[in-house]
Amino acid sequence: MGKIIYYTSIIIILSLFVFILNSGDIAKKPWNREDDFEFYAESLHKNLKSENWIEAKKDLISLKKAWKKTVKRIQYSVEKDEINAINVNLARLTGYIENKDKSAGLAEIHEIQEHWHNLNN
Amino acid sequence: MSETAVVIVRSFIAFFTLLIFTRFLGKQQISQLTFFEYVLGITIGSIAGTLSVDLSSRAWPHWVGLFVWTFTVFVMQKISLKWPKASKYLTGKPAIVIMNGKIMEETMKNMRYTIPDLLEQLREKNIFDLNQVAFAVLENNGQLSVLLKPEYQPVTRGDLHLPPQNETLNTEIIIAGKLIPEKLKKIGKDEKWLLKELNKQGIKKYEEVFLAVYNPVHSTLYIDKYKDKIKKPQENPY
Repeated sequence: MGKIIYYTSIIIILSLFVFILNSGDIAKKPWNREDDFEFYAESLHKNLKSENWIEAKKDLISLKKAWKKTVKRIQYSVEKDEINAINVNLARLTGYIENKDKSAGLAEIHEIQEHWHNLNN
Repeated sequence: MSETAVVIVRSFIAFFTLLIFTRFLGKQQISQLTFFEYVLGITIGSIAGTLSVDLSSRAWPHWVGLFVWTFTVFVMQKISLKWPKASKYLTGKPAIVIMNGKIMEETMKNMRYTIPDLLEQLREKNIFDLNQVAFAVLENNGQLSVLLKPEYQPVTRGDLHLPPQNETLNTEIIIAGKLIPEKLKKIGKDEKWLLKELNKQGIKKYEEVFLAVYNPVHSTLYIDKYKDKIKKPQENPY
């Protein structure tokens, strides 16, 4: 009986570790509209394309908020470099939107979406 | 991103994974490890270290690496246990470096084993004269096993046809100047007796004693004082 409990607890612990280390894909999924990073990124993409700068600014604020919430969940299973890259992209995107620079802004949002896709991959 | 929180979680995972995996590999002692197993240990430890603090890469690949290295060692252990012949190729075989009192130069050369190494390991076995050695075997774990020539082998009670004598473990009564009363009671003596024994060696307080050990079979007391009276230490010839 003792042996069964011993081996079961080891299997449970190791499974928990495997789950935590691979939790990135689950943690990336939004828990509510506020932390839906993909949704705001897509919306920002559209608004940048149509040069709708007021809406783009709003989307950027929401995107930053969503990112702040998501990063707390995914940080245990993803590369720090990918997180830093998205932080830098968001900072640059803020400048481009303030400057109403469509082409640079579009390039930046594409890069953000690419980094997002690469998280946990 | 909180680096501290991530390092704490990853270190926790690395620590317990390493603990579980090493327990899985059995209880082989460090002194019994071959050079390859020693290097394996370092590699597995290094992967666990990276898993713990290298935040520039994902933790999962390191965990998989840790698993694969441990699993491979486990498979090798199983192969060695099941097929002793395979073990000869996996872990090597012992090498005879002294045969019938003669040093095997070619074997030593093949093993990259030098004369100072040989002499050092013989000294570790209290052998200072090569004339006493009949056989010396360099084991896989790097230790030297020595068979002395018959004339230098210690006499046993069996050789002298003496009846066997009981041996028991010694009891420490004073450690680092502190008396252990329960041990004194265990050997059936009291403080009065102990103080008398200490007085015989000019000791007045327990604090002067570094170690006092009692042998119940021979009824002898070994005492080592903090102040050792060695006037001129012997020169180190090595």
